[in-house]
Amino acid sequence: MTEKYFGKPIKRLEDKFMLTGNVKYVDDIEVPGQLHAAFLRSDYAHARILKIDASEALKRPGVVAVYTADDFGDFWKPGPLQVPPPTAIPGSQFNARTLVPIAKDKIRYSGEVLAVVIAESRYIAEDAFDDIIVDVDPLPAVVDLEKGWENTSVLVHDDLPSNMAALVKQEVGNYEEAKKNADVVISKRMLIEHVAAAAMENRGFIASWDERNQEMTIWAGTQSPLTIRGSVSRALGLAESQIHVITPYIGGGFGPKVMTSLADDVLLPWISKQLKRPIKWIEDRRENFLATTSERDQVHHCEIALKKDGTILGFKDVFYHNTGAYDSYGMTVPLNTQTHTISNYRIPNFYSEIRMVFTNQMVVTPVRGAGRSEGIFAMERMVDFAAKELGISPIELRKKNLLRVDELPLNTGVIGQDFVVNILDSGDYLGNYEKCLEVIDYEKFRKEIQPKARKEGKRVGIGVVAFTEGTAVGPYEGCRITVSTSGKVTMTSGYSTQGQAHQTVFAQIIADQLNVKIEDVRVITGDTNQFAWGAGTFASRGAALVGAATYLAAQKVRAKIFSTASKKLEVPEDELELCEGSVCVKGQPETTIPLGTLAALANPMRGVVEPGVEPGLEATAYYGPPHGSTGCGAMGVIVSIDEETCKPVIERMVMVDDCGTMINPLIVDGQLQGGISMGIGNTLYERLVYDENGQLVTASFMDYLMPLATDMPKKLDIVHNHAESSLKVNPLGIKGVGEAGAIPPGPAIVQALEDAFQDTKLEILESNLSPSQIYEYLKKA
Amino acid sequence: MKVEGEHLFKAPREVVYEMFNDPDALGAAVPGMQKMVKIDESHYEAVLGIRVGPVSANFSGNLTLTDEVPPESVTLIIEGKGGAGFVKGVGYVKFEDLGDQTTLLKYTGEANIGGTLASVGQRMIDSVAKSMFKTVFEKLDKILEERWQKN
Repeated sequence: MTEKYFGKPIKRLEDKFMLTGNVKYVDDIEVPGQLHAAFLRSDYAHARILKIDASEALKRPGVVAVYTADDFGDFWKPGPLQVPPPTAIPGSQFNARTLVPIAKDKIRYSGEVLAVVIAESRYIAEDAFDDIIVDVDPLPAVVDLEKGWENTSVLVHDDLPSNMAALVKQEVGNYEEAKKNADVVISKRMLIEHVAAAAMENRGFIASWDERNQEMTIWAGTQSPLTIRGSVSRALGLAESQIHVITPYIGGGFGPKVMTSLADDVLLPWISKQLKRPIKWIEDRRENFLATTSERDQVHHCEIALKKDGTILGFKDVFYHNTGAYDSYGMTVPLNTQTHTISNYRIPNFYSEIRMVFTNQMVVTPVRGAGRSEGIFAMERMVDFAAKELGISPIELRKKNLLRVDELPLNTGVIGQDFVVNILDSGDYLGNYEKCLEVIDYEKFRKEIQPKARKEGKRVGIGVVAFTEGTAVGPYEGCRITVSTSGKVTMTSGYSTQGQAHQTVFAQIIADQLNVKIEDVRVITGDTNQFAWGAGTFASRGAALVGAATYLAAQKVRAKIFSTASKKLEVPEDELELCEGSVCVKGQPETTIPLGTLAALANPMRGVVEPGVEPGLEATAYYGPPHGSTGCGAMGVIVSIDEETCKPVIERMVMVDDCGTMINPLIVDGQLQGGISMGIGNTLYERLVYDENGQLVTASFMDYLMPLATDMPKKLDIVHNHAESSLKVNPLGIKGVGEAGAIPPGPAIVQALEDAFQDTKLEILESNLSPSQIYEYLKKA
Repeated sequence: MKVEGEHLFKAPREVVYEMFNDPDALGAAVPGMQKMVKIDESHYEAVLGIRVGPVSANFSGNLTLTDEVPPESVTLIIEGKGGAGFVKGVGYVKFEDLGDQTTLLKYTGEANIGGTLASVGQRMIDSVAKSMFKTVFEKLDKILEERWQKN
């Protein structure tokens, strides 16, 4: 294959349209006759509903309809289990309590929908909230994870004996036995704080029922258009062919937009069908904070057992995971935590226990990093504490225990989010770490920079951590590639796009395989009438799975191109080659036949075709991996901190990453940079805070602090260190990279902060630190 | 949210206490108070406009006086709700006779706040509450001055 585009840092094809305002987002879509929906949301986190009276609202001019749970009759029911728990883990317990589209009888989180107002404008709809009488009996709220787990008097779900959503124990070897042989055992309790995805564009949904054609068209800012098509079909008793879900351009997904069965995607199609009018809803920022899913929020009780020489004998982790008020998304996040906690080091004895807790908070589903960040944070912190206890440098302790190239592939024995045993397939974990030390010049920092800074009275520290990123999990994705009679090529996939540059990367694969200009390749994602198979956009799997399917489909089309040309030109296939946009005969460049002509020949309008021939220069392919592929790397940071203001500054950051083959290194770097800014935000700025009554007190950007461009490292180096073994994980050797950047900044930054205060007893036991929290930690140190 | 504070009134305790039982005086003193009606000796209904940072809304609610020990102390229970959420609070007020025709009012209280007021206004609530108390006491001082001097 010619590699004109594949592997090259070409600029994103979609940017010239996106950056000049020439693309449409959900809110740009206006359907003639559309009405607007607004959701009246609960002010209480936990309460019994005594009465909701909306009769006055109906009298307001411009209000068309108002619905409470009772108005939906039999249509109201708890939603599906979007992600079931794996059945393969022996003894695991899971209490499925799935999201309800609108609260009935009981309110379980602040922001839960109580009524839907449909009006001529959003203004009128929101004004009508004042006309609705809501009478509730407030209940104490379950907010704290550990207390909530023990508490059996305040229950999020009254029909359960406790607030336990799940209890899962996974063990490899025998931790308690291993502990007996340990010289040192360290136990710590650590918090991983709650963060939002905070995509630039909030969610949005339009449902438009066409009574004459009996068809529903939906525009949605979703990562899973096919899931929505399926759920609407089931809920309304329609054939899937009657439902057309379109995802227009989306301003960022980062995970939560994979969640369905919310008020909008359940209720608005039903209402549109009732009223025979298009209904539009655009989420505002406060709604996004309150009622779009978010993540992290775990409490870890970790224990690490080591020999005096630093050999890790075992690791134990009992952690509480907040699932929110419902658990429709199964256990994806805490399972990711388990697989990542064990992923970097040689840990012969491992015990991990998930205690998933129902709370009076919005549902928790993956956010970029998704459980991985938590597992890596817990393990990296414990290695740091062990290093201090043993008097070994944290660098040497890591180097001693990091997995070696020849130890991979390694079956960790821990079942992950894809329901199969996690395999660390490839990569050079130790090599990545050593590369990172070299690029950040660890020795120089220790011997020159840090002592010099101390002499000048400045605090500066270094942290270097290892990480993995489980990516590219199944089940499968697919695509169809078609060559038009104009010679233009179209690829369609069930995958959907939230800014990942799919239009560019998949076009790169096709343009090389078919030897066409990249501008002549059109990539269509997230339109269920174009391609209707696939699971959705999540878990950093687009490039690996859709990329592989694209490559396989392109090869099939390529074979068809050659066979069609061979017949037409009466020249054996092996004497043909692809010239740009056409097929030519080797050695006779003047004998060519354009791809468009071949496309027409492959679709004869009269005559007969041989049995088994499929028309057109078109092919469909699917790819499903046996297990995910694990990206890996290391991160080093140098952090300076002003002792008086406690404001940390990231002076330098080095990220070493192995994501296998890169279709486009420019886009890979962009993904890593974006992830890093999220990781920095999670560590130093962003935090969702619920008060003891379950009120979210950070529901605006005034209180939920996002990192700015100026908070990025002053100097950032991204080093691609791709091991040979990583290039073989799937047909193109691609591992995902969408979440890598978000994973290691937390443990790297806190290690550096402790290093800056190594003459004190500073010990950081949480993942999010504001300057005032650092100040409090230092007071104790 | 917890509140705590004190204020020195330049009037005897009975006069101060009496003022606290007068809806007209209280209604006039609280900024944004649109309506305050005495239902009976210990119950009031009120409509209050509150502005906390970007959130401004009307709250309607009840004020109940309990555990009254005239003229020494009273407990206030406040319940209000509106488009921007809800407030539910208890306040304990003590009137100390300092013996020189002045009265020291001491208060402590706790309030639960929910809805938009909590989710968007939380950061400003403490300072808004402080400023409200300040305004209330300033106005009450004036009212008291007029009444006390008239007598």
